[in-house]
Amino acid sequence: MKGGRDVKRWGWILAALVVLAGLAATVRVWQRLERGAFRPPVWAAQEEPPPRVQGLEDLTRAREEKLRSQPYEEAEYRQLGKLNSRVVVWVLAQLHLLFAAFVLAVPIFAFIIEAIGYATGDRRYDRLAHDFTKLLSVSFSLTATFGAFLTFMLVLLYPKFMNYLFYVFSPTLAPYVGLFFLEAIFLYTYYYGWGKFHPLVHLGLGLGLNIVGTAIMFIANAWLSFMMSPGGVSETGVVLSVWDAFANFTWMPINIHRLIANVAFGGSVAAAYGAWMFLHAHNDEERAHYDWMGYTGNFVATIAFLPLPFAGYWLASEIYNYNQALGIMMMGGAFRWLFIIQAVLIGMIFLAANYYLWVGMGRIEGERRYQGAIKYLLAAIALCFAVWVTPRAIVATGSEIRAMGGTFHPVLRWLGLMSAKNTAVNILILTTFISFVLYLRAGKRAASPRARLGDWVQATLIAAAAAYVIYLGVYGYFVEASIRIRFSVYMVLAVLIAIVGSLLINIVQLKGAMITAQPKWGKMPLFSQYVLIFIAVSFTWLMGLMGYVRSGLRQHWHVYGVMRDHSPDAYTPTLGYATKIVSVTVLLFFALIGFVFWLASLAGKKAWAPASEPVLEPAGGWTASESDGGH
Amino acid sequence: MRVPPAVNVVLLVLGATAFYTYVGQLVPQSEVLPPEEIQIAADLTTDKMITIGERIAHGKGLCLTCHTLGQSGPLRFPDLAGIGARAGTRRPGMSDVEYLAQSLYEPDSFVVPGFNPGMPPIHKPPIGLTDEEILCVIAWLQSLGGEPTVTLQTMHPYRKQGG
Repeated sequence: MKGGRDVKRWGWILAALVVLAGLAATVRVWQRLERGAFRPPVWAAQEEPPPRVQGLEDLTRAREEKLRSQPYEEAEYRQLGKLNSRVVVWVLAQLHLLFAAFVLAVPIFAFIIEAIGYATGDRRYDRLAHDFTKLLSVSFSLTATFGAFLTFMLVLLYPKFMNYLFYVFSPTLAPYVGLFFLEAIFLYTYYYGWGKFHPLVHLGLGLGLNIVGTAIMFIANAWLSFMMSPGGVSETGVVLSVWDAFANFTWMPINIHRLIANVAFGGSVAAAYGAWMFLHAHNDEERAHYDWMGYTGNFVATIAFLPLPFAGYWLASEIYNYNQALGIMMMGGAFRWLFIIQAVLIGMIFLAANYYLWVGMGRIEGERRYQGAIKYLLAAIALCFAVWVTPRAIVATGSEIRAMGGTFHPVLRWLGLMSAKNTAVNILILTTFISFVLYLRAGKRAASPRARLGDWVQATLIAAAAAYVIYLGVYGYFVEASIRIRFSVYMVLAVLIAIVGSLLINIVQLKGAMITAQPKWGKMPLFSQYVLIFIAVSFTWLMGLMGYVRSGLRQHWHVYGVMRDHSPDAYTPTLGYATKIVSVTVLLFFALIGFVFWLASLAGKKAWAPASEPVLEPAGGWTASESDGGH
Repeated sequence: MRVPPAVNVVLLVLGATAFYTYVGQLVPQSEVLPPEEIQIAADLTTDKMITIGERIAHGKGLCLTCHTLGQSGPLRFPDLAGIGARAGTRRPGMSDVEYLAQSLYEPDSFVVPGFNPGMPPIHKPPIGLTDEEILCVIAWLQSLGGEPTVTLQTMHPYRKQGG
């Protein structure tokens, strides 16, 4: 058998050599033909070069002479071949941001999980946190690579604009680089030092990594938020105050929004890694571990996702406060249909996240108490989803428009207004929270004699919040804009109070609760793992889409109101075009993150050994929980 | 035959991305071009100014991004229908041209009851209309229910200050 394999291998090598030799011969013949195209028929030794070569040399010389006679001028824009400059920068910026978001998010929840492990003494948490950080080092390198690539492309393609940004933010550049070095030191020490230090020292490294990472993001956010809502500069762009330029109108809302969104996105990608490993697990123990990992990643993503719309409100309201026209352009102008696409994405994420929670109850054997509630939760989610995706103006044919008496549907038009949208998203959040609470309570019976009272208070809190949200949603149609605009804040507060209050009651109730059934980790249908991957794809796509609207909102301005875009791309493309670019970016990201997953999975593989020799002991299977120094 | 999970994952990623791309193609598609530069000749008649003012209001001026024309109900900004008739009576002691000019150059100095301040001064960036373009917008606003009177020679307090 072995001899047969050798013959086959040599056969392939021989075939490859023949193909290569054939290619080399073809190239050589082609070169000869090219050079000899205009030679006289007789191969004579000639002093003068053939006419074609002479012509080319003359052209080169003329071009050089022309260039020498020109003075050097600073370019406003440059071109890279036939590439579309905007698309190049767009894709690179988005890939950089996706990896940066992941690298910033994973240490946040890895640190929290590690801290829980330290506090509870449960070493499984330590192993889980370490598993998450396995994804970090390659992702960090990719973040830096795309960051450098993006900077080069920006300087090359948009030199004047970059010169201006450097002029405004020159005091921030050195601290940024310094922090980046610090982040590298913290990150690699955190990862490679796992189990090598006292647990508190290691946690301190994790904390340092998170502080430095967040500081880096805050600096970068100052640059991009300045482009949208510049401050601290005169009308002509002269810097009056670097701090005002830094802490401009939308800086802090973007900081908070990104911080939460990064955690949600990072959690979903980490959950996708858990799902990927679950699908490739070899035994029940691996399946149990990666099921737990996927669940934890999704838990992080869902918990961070719930307050995200509130951070979004704040950001949107600050955009309105900065410039009403900009806000209306976003929500009611060129980008209004983008928010319908966003609604589809968020609706799908909510549906998938709830589905995963419902399926997850199947891990808890014998748990049937809450299954009856699922159909009502599904109905509420579907209804809210439908309201949220209903546009104010309908896409319709000519006859349909005539039948409706305009582009607004007589009934559905009312669902297209912000009052209806705010109501739908708040109810959607409450519904997901209920699914989450039911999951937490599955397999447990509260031991306290006041448990029944706690149930009622919880139910009343959630029902009151839902009723108040619906009341404000309806009342919003009958009041002036100046009053209605405050309603979204009241809705958010009501939902937050209900969530926090209900969670606190839940914690008290489940303290010392009787465990009726333990979750059987790993007992999940394979389909549920694909749901986790779907959630990660949807989150990534959502990040790309919302990144586009934040950046595209400036329209024909590099820096809104200060520096105009005079490039050929100074127009807002169609949403169809934008979504194609977003999709390309998402596919590139998943190709690269797949590579990161594969590299991370190598850690658990057996070491290579020649077929004739005995298999060595696993070299890369180290985990913190197995090591002596793990904590 | 069992399909390897990796193949399923690749198909899922491609399918989900294709689905969202498809949703993106379903919504109305339009490109938004930078505002056109309008040449204003010195001998423009009031009628021509109205036409140009309307173009500016729909384009470079961004007026109709926020304001509506002939709509009622819970609006974010005042509806402009009939503004030509109302402008002269809105603030005592101010002519319609003075009121409209103030609304455009210093929008926060008077906010219509029931609405929030929020309109940017339109002679400054990012809108940055010239004095002549603003006169054309005033002519168009006057034409909405009123009698257009402005010409390119019309003076008002802001024009004196601004140049």
